[in-house]
Amino acid sequence: MKHRGILAGAVLLSVVVAFAVLSTEAASQYSPDIPDVDPHKAFGSKNAPVTMEVFSDFQCPACKTLFTTTNRRLMEDYVSSGKVYLIHRDFPLPMHAHSRVAARYARAAAQLGKGESVEQALFQNQEKWEQNGDVDGTVAAVLSAAEMTKVRALVKGNSLDTAIDKDYALGQTYRVNQTPTTVFHCKGQIYPYSGVMTYDILKQFLEQLLAQK
Amino acid sequence: MMPSSPLNLRRAIIWIGRLVLAGIFIYAGYAKLTMGMRPRPPLGVALSFFALQVDSYRILPSWGVKWVAHTLPFAEIGLGLLLLIGWRFRIWATLVTLIMLGFFAAVVRSYALGMQINCGCFATPEPLTIKTVMRDGALVALALLMTIFAFIEARRPHPWTAPEKA
Repeated sequence: MKHRGILAGAVLLSVVVAFAVLSTEAASQYSPDIPDVDPHKAFGSKNAPVTMEVFSDFQCPACKTLFTTTNRRLMEDYVSSGKVYLIHRDFPLPMHAHSRVAARYARAAAQLGKGESVEQALFQNQEKWEQNGDVDGTVAAVLSAAEMTKVRALVKGNSLDTAIDKDYALGQTYRVNQTPTTVFHCKGQIYPYSGVMTYDILKQFLEQLLAQK
Repeated sequence: MMPSSPLNLRRAIIWIGRLVLAGIFIYAGYAKLTMGMRPRPPLGVALSFFALQVDSYRILPSWGVKWVAHTLPFAEIGLGLLLLIGWRFRIWATLVTLIMLGFFAAVVRSYALGMQINCGCFATPEPLTIKTVMRDGALVALALLMTIFAFIEARRPHPWTAPEKA
């Protein structure tokens, strides 16, 4: 009888629904306090309702796309208005030969208040320095001679590597395995996302996060 | 016409496909709506987060991304339930197969282009790897077999049907 098949299906249906409901017992994803925030690499208000940690690699093409397209509008519309606290995290992937060196230079420049212009120079000239490894020359093009001397001194020290390693270790706790990965924090919950984000779609998500009571 | 055996290979594959694909569709839709979180995030947050994952494939325009993100999780649950119930089975099996083919094409394209994205299949951070491609390929094969066999079996009298009186 055809109805027997439907009856069997209905019984199975209730079993599967019950299984699906019970199996989504994921661990609570309450965010811990956000550790090791370098004030030179963080933008906006610490009290913003949404925090975004962006794990990025200077040699990664997708990170370049995110930086040159979405991040600019994000800074203008959400970070400047105190709605989003944006933290840049270094996550130099081992497969990229020069990304750790670039991260050192960017961190050193950030300590002199020149982080944004150096990050911009590194991303915009990514294809050049990843070929010849001339990170120093790329950074020198946007800094004065005096600033460059200070940056080189900082790069030679070990303190920058310690900070980069802390970011990397933090990324591993979030199970970051590719860049860019953005970890959103809002209302005690965390939302990790890997890949480039179109501004319109990101805006929709941020508006939903901000609309939560 | 000879009735088909109730235990033939085709019927077994139809049942396996029905159970496996229905389970996966229901779970995938449910996971997208809840994001596997406790407490569950509001529906708007879950759907707009899923929109980010759809967008990462770089296939659809913004309006298409929003439409897919807001309909797909519900469609997955609905189709999964319809597969299980078995009512108008061939219609829903065909639709599930077409959707699976669409997923598979998107996954293969992204993998071939070397895109560093998450699959977004079950709303968890799952990198798109060769494993994902093979898993989706296997599910597409199962969906195709299930649907083709369902059409073949529908042409034969059901083994549980009483013989027609002369």
